[in-house]
Amino acid sequence: MDKLVSLREAVEAFLIDGCSFSYGGIAGREPMAVILEIVRQGYKDLTLLTAVSTDPANILLGAGCLKRIEMAYAWIGIVGSGLNLRRAVEKGVPNYVEVREYSNYAASLRFLAGAMGIPFLPTRTMLGSDIPTYNEDIKITDCPYTGEKLALVPAASPDVAFIHVQKADRMGNCQIWGVESNDANIARAAKKLVITCEEIISTEEIRSLPNMTAIPYYCVDAVVHLPLGCHPLPVAGYYAMDLPFRREFMQYNHTHEGFRQWLDEWVFSLKDHQEYLEKLGQDRLEKLKKLETDFSPIPVLVKEVSHK
Amino acid sequence: MKATATEMMVAACSKFIKNDETVFVGVGIPLLASLCANRTHAPNASIVFEGGGVGPSTMRVPWTISDNPTTENAIMSTETWRLFSDTQRGFIDCGLLGAAQIDRFGNINTSALFPDGYSFAHPKVRLPGSGGGNDIATLCKRFIVVCTMGKGRFVEKVDYITSPGFINGGNSRKEAGIRWGGPEAVITDKGVFRFQAETKEMYLSDIYAGGSIQEIIELIPWKLKIAEQVSEYEISDQEVGLIRSLDSLNIFLGSKSVDMVEDFDTYYHLMMKAAHPLT
Repeated sequence: MDKLVSLREAVEAFLIDGCSFSYGGIAGREPMAVILEIVRQGYKDLTLLTAVSTDPANILLGAGCLKRIEMAYAWIGIVGSGLNLRRAVEKGVPNYVEVREYSNYAASLRFLAGAMGIPFLPTRTMLGSDIPTYNEDIKITDCPYTGEKLALVPAASPDVAFIHVQKADRMGNCQIWGVESNDANIARAAKKLVITCEEIISTEEIRSLPNMTAIPYYCVDAVVHLPLGCHPLPVAGYYAMDLPFRREFMQYNHTHEGFRQWLDEWVFSLKDHQEYLEKLGQDRLEKLKKLETDFSPIPVLVKEVSHK
Repeated sequence: MKATATEMMVAACSKFIKNDETVFVGVGIPLLASLCANRTHAPNASIVFEGGGVGPSTMRVPWTISDNPTTENAIMSTETWRLFSDTQRGFIDCGLLGAAQIDRFGNINTSALFPDGYSFAHPKVRLPGSGGGNDIATLCKRFIVVCTMGKGRFVEKVDYITSPGFINGGNSRKEAGIRWGGPEAVITDKGVFRFQAETKEMYLSDIYAGGSIQEIIELIPWKLKIAEQVSEYEISDQEVGLIRSLDSLNIFLGSKSVDMVEDFDTYYHLMMKAAHPLT
């Protein structure tokens, strides 16, 4: 069972204009290269289902790919504000985007419900706040057993999901290291799942640490080998955040015109992720790897097998 | 050594963290406050990050709540829904939160500003959204707000309650179905606010040495209640030194944290020093 395809093939095969989609990670491991490919291919009217997203959500908003975002947070963070979210919602630039807001826990439970194959989950979060007031998909109800107030959140089952992991085999068995976010649930909630990964490993290596497998082959439709696929965001065990790159992005991003210029330079004038990496240069990429692996490499577990 | 307003905030916030507590933190001032508490009165307090990192131990700077250092040498790295379920279950003692807009009962807005003529769907200013803020405010056993007193920060009633404080005061938080918690204090660059036991209304409890009550009143658009005895808060040279040592690269205490890494090689060399104890 070999599911290995190119990034372009994977995006074209599963994503269609107007569909709903999700991706994995939270500030780290968000699949930037996938997002840039979606922008390069000019997708429109997508609904993004996410809990917390940083640069990827803002790039999709600025590029006009979204019609709706169901989310807890879509901002840039340490280097600046989510100006693309602001321009879309306040000014309709480049197009108006509807926001359906949830808390992070609520958005996460939506993926858990999707992964469990049930229509909703109850929670105590968001009670007393205005999040349910302005999002009619959240229902406040009394518990049928205890009579306590609960908020119900609907399952999220995206048409397509893209999840970037550290290691996967060609069947799609995925091992995640560091921050896990909601990826194991997004993988199971999605109707179609594309895995991108830093490294393709053998199924034997997967078998040596089965507890590390967050996503099994049976959820997975395609696997893309995509080293440095989250740059400038970090991937635990592989590379650190490229903060100066994000800072420079924000300097372009002060105006929509500036953002378009950034897209021309980093997306439209480059054929693919390989050209993006070449533009960044080997020296910079090696340094980003060193900033991670010198401090916190993924530990290797040696299995001692006695042959009797 | 005269402490800056930011250093005062770190010191004041750290006082609210008790030993043996598990504390939900964000990067920046909340993180420094919890590290400061660790090195003074609360050596066994442990931090939790929204990304799922519990009790990390690293010398690297976490730039976000889910950056790689937040799970480095950690007690646990877990999924988002699991960590928040642990919070809902009642395992997390305290949360530290920022606020774009905060009101008389400690309700926080980080979603949208929509004065008359605007709406949530078409706001004057769209803000980041709840993130985990709502969950931390609702599900932690208590929370502490850390924010500066800029113009428009304090309002009588927030446009939108992203993260509930005491809602309309009195018993309204309980009546909404929230089992416990609420804001214990609001730490600002000018002083500290707490909440009255019955009415749950915010009052001024501490000012920093050299500041004035009048200066604070002018930034509050309702008739602010003031403690009978407002403490004047001072920190020792030793404490200032400790706080500065926790941020020796001056990343979060300085005002231009990100501008100092304009150039990639400068960033690389600074980060290779890994001089940021997070443990």
